[in-house]
Parts: sequence; C-alpha cells; structure tokens
Amino acid sequence: MSAIAPSLDTASPVPTPAGSAAIRLAGLTKRFPVRRSWTAALRHPLQRQWTPALQAVTCTIEDGEFFGLLGPNGAGKTTLFKVLATLVLPDGGAATVGGYDVVRDGRRVRSVLAPVITDDRSLYWRLSAAENLELYARLQDLPDGVGSRRVSELLEVVGLAEAGRKMVGAFSSGMKQRLLIARALLARPRILLLDEPTRSLDPLSARRLRTFLREEISGRQGCTVLLATHNTEEALELCGRVGVLHGGKLLAVGTPAELLGEMGDRYRLWTRSPAMGRLAALEREGVIREIVAQPENEDGWACAELDVVGGLEGAARVVAALGRAGASVGRFERVPKSLADLIEGIIGRRPQGSTHG
Amino acid sequence: MGRVAALVRASWLTAASYRLNMLLSLVSLLVMIVPVYFVAGALQPVMAQSIEGQGGQYFGFLLIGLITFSFLTTAVTSLPAALGSGIASGTFETLLGTRARLAEIIVGMVGYAFLWTALRGLLLVGVGWLLGAPLMWNRVPAALLILGLIVLAYFPFGLFASAAVLAFKTNGSLPSAVLAISGLLGGVYYPTHVIPSWIQDVTAVVPLTYGLRALRKVVLEGGPLGASASDVAVLTGFVLVLFGSSLYVFTSAVRHAKRSGTLAQY
Repeated sequence: MSAIAPSLDTASPVPTPAGSAAIRLAGLTKRFPVRRSWTAALRHPLQRQWTPALQAVTCTIEDGEFFGLLGPNGAGKTTLFKVLATLVLPDGGAATVGGYDVVRDGRRVRSVLAPVITDDRSLYWRLSAAENLELYARLQDLPDGVGSRRVSELLEVVGLAEAGRKMVGAFSSGMKQRLLIARALLARPRILLLDEPTRSLDPLSARRLRTFLREEISGRQGCTVLLATHNTEEALELCGRVGVLHGGKLLAVGTPAELLGEMGDRYRLWTRSPAMGRLAALEREGVIREIVAQPENEDGWACAELDVVGGLEGAARVVAALGRAGASVGRFERVPKSLADLIEGIIGRRPQGSTHG
Repeated sequence: MGRVAALVRASWLTAASYRLNMLLSLVSLLVMIVPVYFVAGALQPVMAQSIEGQGGQYFGFLLIGLITFSFLTTAVTSLPAALGSGIASGTFETLLGTRARLAEIIVGMVGYAFLWTALRGLLLVGVGWLLGAPLMWNRVPAALLILGLIVLAYFPFGLFASAAVLAFKTNGSLPSAVLAISGLLGGVYYPTHVIPSWIQDVTAVVPLTYGLRALRKVVLEGGPLGASASDVAVLTGFVLVLFGSSLYVFTSAVRHAKRSGTLAQY
C-alpha cells in the first residue's frame, strides 16, 4: 500500500436486501472425493471415499464486521470462501451472502461480494496492471468513464500508480498481491473475502496492507471483510471477531479478547528464584493455569512461562502478587499465542465432537 | 457485449505482446499458399472432372477448403485450449467470480481466436484472388452465412472437448479426431464423391461435407443459396442437434467441477 493512501470514493455501493446479515451460514457441509489408487479403483470401482472439507458450519457475520477465520492448512478456509464466491457448490446446509443464496442467486451474490482467493497467476501477466484492471472493470459492469477513474484511483491506493503501465509479469509478488486486492475492490463490493492477503508480502508491506484494510476498507468504506489467515496475531489485531476452523469444523467464534480469555494468555516472566513459591500459590488460586519454569541462568535470573487466566486483569494480579512478595521482576511480557496453541487449547477445552453453532 | 469485447481485447493485447509470433503467423500464410498454388496447378488436369460443379478450378477448390478448415480448427480447438490454460492459471475461476455470464466468458475467451482466423482467412482470399482463384464477390453474404453455420456445427465439438477438460482434465483427443476425420473425409482436399467404398458413407455424418459443398457452389460457381438448400438444411440440423447437446454437456461439466471443487485444478 502507498504510505498515504487516499480515500476511495464510497458512492453507489451495491445494495443488499434490507435487514440481512452480510453472511449467514447454517449447517454448511462440503466433502470432496478422495483420489484412490489404481488398484483400489479396479477392485471396488463403485466405492467412493470422501474427505470432509466443511462440517455443519454455522455462523452469522453482520454487515460491516471485520471477521477473521483462523485455521491451519486444510482446515476448510478456502473451501468456505469458494462456496461463498459461488465457485464451489455445497453438499448440504445453506449459505447466504447479502441475503442472497449462494446456490440459487449466484449472480446476485457475485454482485455484492469480491473474493481474493486465487494466486497471482490469475492475473494476465502479459498485460499491464492498468489493462488488467480495465478488463475487470468492464466485466464488473463499470461504465467506461467511471471504470477508468476507478482504475487510476485504485492503482494510487495500492501504490502501483507509477507501475500501472508496466507488464504484470515483471512485478514482484508483493506488487501482484496488491494488484489482486485492487482488482477485488473495483466494483465497490459490500463484502470482501481475503485469503491470506499478506502471505507474499514483506513485513513493511504487510503492515501497510493491514492498516489499509482496517482504516480504509473496513473503517471508511464500511465493507464487511472476511479474512482467512494462519497468522494469529494478524487476525487478533484486525478482526472484531474471530472464528477458529479446524478439520472443516468451526470450533469457536468470539472476539479476540474472549478467545484469549477462554484460552488464557501466555506470559514470559524473568525473575529471581524466590518468586517461584508465590507463583505456585497463584497457580493453586487458579490465577495461573500452568507454569513452565526454566532453570536459573548464571546471573541468578530464572525464566518462567505462565498461562494466565483472565486476560490483562489476571496479568495485573500476577504482577501485584509478585510485587507484594518482594520478587525482583526483570521483565514481564505477553507471548504471542500461536495458531497451534489456540487450536490445541480450544480442542482441549471442548467435549469431543462439539462444534460452534 | 461489452464484457465479451473486454475479454477479446485482453486476448488481443496478450497476443500483440508476442510481436514476432504474430508476424510469423501472417508470413506463414504466404509460405503455405504459394506451394498450394503450384501443386493445384499441376493436379488441375487430374482433378478437373471430379470437381465439376464445385468451381472446376482446383486452386480455388483447395483455397476454399483450406480457409474453411482453419475456421473449423479454431472452432474445435480454441475453447479447450483457452479453458485448459485458464484452469491451470486460475483465470477461468476468477472470471467465473465476476458478474459476467458463463456464455459471455466462453465467447470472450474464443472471440479473439476467431477474429484472428478471420483476418488470416481474409488475407488468404486476397492472395488467392490475386493468384487467379475464381471468387464470386457478389455471393459474399451467402458464403458468410454458410461459413457461420459450419463454425456453429463444429463449435459444439469444442464444447464437448472443454467439458472433458473440466471434468476429466483431458480433452480425450476429441479435437484431433474431429479434425482428422473432417480434414480427410469432409472434402477439404478432394471432393467426397471420389472417396471409394464404404468410407464414402462416413462422409454423410461429417458436417463439413455439406458445408464445403454448399460453400463452393456459392463462392466458386456463383450459384444462389437456394441451389444449396438441401446441404444448408442438413448443416442446420447438425447445428441444432450438436449445439443443444453440447451446451447441456458443458454446463453439466461446469456444475460437476463446482461440485467436486476442481474448477481451478488441472
């Protein structure tokens, strides 16, 4: 993104039926056939094996929400996006986008939603960035004059104004990623689906893109954004609510604070050893769920990782207790929770087979 | 229409970015037509009697056959080829995610190939006329109508092959088979009635047989469209049957790909 991204003209957004949620999923199910070996296919030609991609996913995403979808590879994120974009037909359940059914009203769904789910090969590499956008402006029904203005505006916004006449094949992967996003924004979608949008960006570009998504797309334009990512920090930073998808099941949905509160926050504490006794007392009181202590180093400092319950308040209680115990605290910092931690935590705290819904 | 034009423009810009390839494509026409002219001249005494009623001049006979065959090749191969590369790159899936209708996407994907074939055909007609092919210019509208029917009769094979690409990730050599059979038995290089024995019966199920016979009567003999009414009627029958069934098969294949999640897998 350009360092100073100008505001987009927010006029004439595509209308959606009044009172409808942006996205509504009810028991959405999808499974794919498993590719079998030649031997298995010859032995049992009529037998088919299936792998579940989405298992009874139920969720409602309100208009204007910034919703994160966290999950490892194969969790079903892309399948869910493709179902919403009308590119994959579901097997069961229902999904509506802007009030339109994804199976029956495909064209209407595509008029309110824009997906960024394909990779940069889906751009026309022998065409310039501007020519790519001009093509899609026409495909998305933008009249000539409006389309040209919109193309220039978006090239500016994504920081490609100077490279607009260059052939896309010569672009870096980050530039192509920005062009994919510009392409999705052409028709002022009410709902934007972003599948790992920062995956091929350098850290600086990724940060700029996140700022752009939060301030411009979600903030000024009021666009509903559904962001699929592996990156827990990214989801927690950007999204008002986050859903955790694993093995096709939506395991949990909540605000970042709720999810982290439920799972407990992990903190790293550098202290002198006498504090360990006090920490054990806090564990018994239920303020700390788990302590992973490491031996003292040569200078007499010990490091411990604490799984603290109750978010920031819990952390404050730990610091206060350590202060009262006269412990020397060298450093007390929150450890970013990895996706694996989050999923393990959710699976570990839920009865077998239960899903959000 | 605007969406189709935009897709055609994108294909044109892509093709135009390979300048040498484009230039060579036009130069190859001359390389092809000159030997055809001399070989046709040499074979004229042998062929004259058998092509009576279809112009009588073997060079003109071959010229019409070759131009028509180039349209037929485009009709059969352009869509599966464009679709295959579109699936592999993800372009096809992206296009399906826009507001464009499936029909607009399909026509837009092959529109440029047809325009390029038309330009090459026009150049061949011009060079052929300069070399003495007896072309009846006043029959151009009727000729275009018949040529359109031939294209419409063969485009369904492109749709069938594209359906196979969508469903099975291979065109099953259907385009090659259709081109081989139509090229050898459709009257491109010699009239179908000179083909011996039972093979001649096969020519009756080749749409090109009727198309080329009608086209040559109109363009080389200057006959009215009515004189080729029976051939045109059979050709129209092929169009109706093949187009209807191929559209059904193709849309079913798109639905299958959406159901199996293989729209972007090749």
